[in-house]
Amino acid sequence: MGTSVRLGPWVFATLAAFAFQTTPALAQGLTPGEYKIGFITENTGPIAQAGQSFWAGAQLAVEDIKSSKYIGASSIVLDPKESGSDAARSIQAMNQFIADRSVIATACCILSPVAGSLKPVVLAAKVPLVIYGATAAGLPQPPWIYSMTILPGPKDTATALLVSDAIKPKTAAYILAADNDAFKGRMAPTQKALEAKGIATAGVVSVLTKDTDFTAAATQAMGLKPDVVLVYATQQAAAGAISALRDRGFTKTIIGNDVLGPEAIYKKMGATVVGIPFPVGFSDTIGVSAEGKSFVNAYKAKFKVSPDSYSAQGYQMVWFVAQGLKSISGTPTRESLSAALAKLEKFDHNVYGGEFMKEGQAQTTGTIVVNWSADGKLVPWTAPK
Amino acid sequence: MDLFFEQLINGVALGSLYALFGLGFGIVFATLGILNAAQGTYASWAAIVALAAAEHYKLPFIPALLTGVVAAGVIALLVDQVAFQPLRRRGKDMLGALITSIACWIILDSLAGTATGHNSLSFPRGTYPSTMYHLGTIPLPVMQIITIAAMVAVTVGLHVLIRHTRFGAAMRAVGWDQTAASLGGVNPRYVVIITAFIAGSTSGLAGVLGGITTHNVSFMLGEGLMLKGFAAVVVGGYDDVRGTALAGVALGVLEVMTSQYLSSGLRDGITYALLLGFLLLRPRGLFGSLTYSRA
Amino acid sequence: MQGLWDFWAAYRSTLAFAIVNSFLALSTYAVLSAGILSFATVTYAAFGGFLGARMVLATGIDPMLTLPAAALAGAVLSYLVALIFLRLESHWMALASLALILITRVIVINIPVVTGGVNGMSVPLPVSLELLAVLIALAALVFWRLSVSWYGIAAQSVREDTAVASSLGIAPRKIQTIAFVISGAVGGLGGMLLAGALQFISPDTYFVNIAFTMIAGVVLGGSYHWTGVIIGAAVFTALPVIAQAIIPEFQDVANGIVLLLIMIFLPRGLVDPRAIRLRNKFQLPVAQAIKDTSSTKLDI
Repeated sequence: MGTSVRLGPWVFATLAAFAFQTTPALAQGLTPGEYKIGFITENTGPIAQAGQSFWAGAQLAVEDIKSSKYIGASSIVLDPKESGSDAARSIQAMNQFIADRSVIATACCILSPVAGSLKPVVLAAKVPLVIYGATAAGLPQPPWIYSMTILPGPKDTATALLVSDAIKPKTAAYILAADNDAFKGRMAPTQKALEAKGIATAGVVSVLTKDTDFTAAATQAMGLKPDVVLVYATQQAAAGAISALRDRGFTKTIIGNDVLGPEAIYKKMGATVVGIPFPVGFSDTIGVSAEGKSFVNAYKAKFKVSPDSYSAQGYQMVWFVAQGLKSISGTPTRESLSAALAKLEKFDHNVYGGEFMKEGQAQTTGTIVVNWSADGKLVPWTAPK
Repeated sequence: MDLFFEQLINGVALGSLYALFGLGFGIVFATLGILNAAQGTYASWAAIVALAAAEHYKLPFIPALLTGVVAAGVIALLVDQVAFQPLRRRGKDMLGALITSIACWIILDSLAGTATGHNSLSFPRGTYPSTMYHLGTIPLPVMQIITIAAMVAVTVGLHVLIRHTRFGAAMRAVGWDQTAASLGGVNPRYVVIITAFIAGSTSGLAGVLGGITTHNVSFMLGEGLMLKGFAAVVVGGYDDVRGTALAGVALGVLEVMTSQYLSSGLRDGITYALLLGFLLLRPRGLFGSLTYSRA
Repeated sequence: MQGLWDFWAAYRSTLAFAIVNSFLALSTYAVLSAGILSFATVTYAAFGGFLGARMVLATGIDPMLTLPAAALAGAVLSYLVALIFLRLESHWMALASLALILITRVIVINIPVVTGGVNGMSVPLPVSLELLAVLIALAALVFWRLSVSWYGIAAQSVREDTAVASSLGIAPRKIQTIAFVISGAVGGLGGMLLAGALQFISPDTYFVNIAFTMIAGVVLGGSYHWTGVIIGAAVFTALPVIAQAIIPEFQDVANGIVLLLIMIFLPRGLVDPRAIRLRNKFQLPVAQAIKDTSSTKLDI
């Protein structure tokens, strides 16, 4: 068989020719460089605790992206400007970012009204904004505005239903931060769901987010003689209300919300918060994926505390931008980045064990209901005997 | 009916905090003639120092409380000497002192925020008495009793001091006119320093007790007390401690009852409407004395 | 050149805020120049700001038309406030105006239809820097003309000593009422401009913070002349921005310390007409002085 041509080399050569023709485009990829995200921090002000978590998560993400060479030789740089959770300062910071040509994306906001006020600014200036903490639904507006917040509303309702199924209360009282529309919006569907199951609403006690004394509110709630109390308030108010209830001898179940998640709350409230169920978007001990575990370990090593849901959101925010950058060839611009982000559906790298984008809003599936244990760990909630 | 009494007691306890704070604020206003915007920070810092004493140095309740109170007095003294004294030499000027007090307010609030790591801290259980008494079916935490008792004690003590001692007479003289007082043999500098210390410690006491009962030690503690204490001073009459104390308690009760029986949205509104009403119709407050100003 | 342009773009909003704060400070100065310390500017600003913003959002009319409406609203409100408050002695007037701010906030929170309630409202009103510059120039012109008019001199005398002023035939009440109305108009306008500059207003926007900022600006700049007020407001607006750029950790403390130092060492503010007059007097050339004195012929 002398005339049979050895195909091998030809095939190889043809394939190589094809490869050489197609790789030039792939080999171009993202132009190596440092890409700046303008980050509006909230490390001081009324919700500094949460703000610091977000910022820590973001900083860790920058390091992780660099060490894993996710975007090749490029790296992301964060440019922080403090806003103290104030809308006016946030707008000023945003204007400065817009003017800075090297900023290709911006990140902001825990408070929903502040995020709302930045929307027109960002849309007019055409710069991508990724919201890392605001909990109001409907904020995203692709291709320019995205939100990494795992919306707590649906998780609240799932938690309330899970707990009520276990303890079977007849009446429920609600403590609501009356001056916070986001919490009003979270309470309403939960209240409806519980009422549909035959759990009557004994009453709604209103508090204000800036309140410091909750004795009267706790007394009022206990006066309604409920079997379970649900708390819908921001961190300080929720902590204060729960402490007041327990101080006055309320021993029945109290259902909290995600603001009870951070470790600092356990340090502050101690035994008072043990046993109170609440949902978490991210848990550092329960149902953690492999990527989640390495995130937890790295965070603990760097910051000496465990990460909470806020840290996870801040962390994912930077990964989101990185994933958008990765899909761009050449030098990214604000326009090309926004187009890339709009196309993103599934996260390459996430700490939740599964995160996806829908219409600009990040989402996870499933609800983890936890409570603080007596030794300061988050454990899955089980009904009291 | 039980609920009514329970809330009444809550109101009195809350009002006692306002009253205590208002006493400090009122003394500064009456004696030193200064609208002190920094008074709230004395309360916040007293709570922070007391918490540090209880948590880090493991002091029991009373010593930790006293540490906080003394610290507030010292801070008040420093503020007075740094911010108000230089202006006093230049003559009476409410505007100037108000501005410097605002500056001190900004500085002290910011430092308080840094000290607490921008968090709201709590006194750990065991650092303060937490026995629960019962009045029939009404729960009565011992801290509420302590707060009310402290308010009564301080009010009586201050009243006796101001009205029935020589030092009190000196205070009132300095409040009227420093030069005239010094002509009468009073050392105004000495009186001002002691007065500032007393005013600071009184507000500081409100801060420590408030920080314990509300589980909230942060710069926001002082802010909350400030507005209500100011209202107590105006409604009660700024130069009579009994009036301030009564007004403070009344405001606390009003606040709690409004929340319970009306709506918590109106709560602050009623307090401030009352405040404005008194300012317009009876500026000297319930118990204040008429002042005559020179034409 | 590019760097300069970027710098300008980054800090133009600071300049805009400085101008808006000048309006609020001028409003406070208007009553202060007649001897009254009042924080009610914040209320006029809230009134003008919310009303103006709501009018534009609800009816879609040209924002330019709402500016005079906001000023008018502020003037009407201040007239009513003057009627009630002018009976009070100065101490109580200041406290009553503080109480007024507190009540304003409660009212704002409880009428969400107009004000967006506790969450506030977005104000997509473009307020260009050119417009602000024109308006502040107009305001400066008005205040200048007022200061050299009959009203200005009367106000000065009322400020110095009310009793003496009335003995000179000036009605203090009338002057003070006029002062209030001017303050209200400027305040209402300033409030609306603030809404446009912030693009977002909430109950906390018109509250104790700007009350203290504007009064600090007035005293800092010099409460005895209107130019000082504008400079003071500008300085006090720029201060936090500069502090943030240099020492972000302790910017608030730095602000407080600067304020404290200025109050202690320059109690009459940066622009003090009396100091300027005294300085000018002593700078009179000696030769001129000799000439003046020697020109008086002594008839011996």
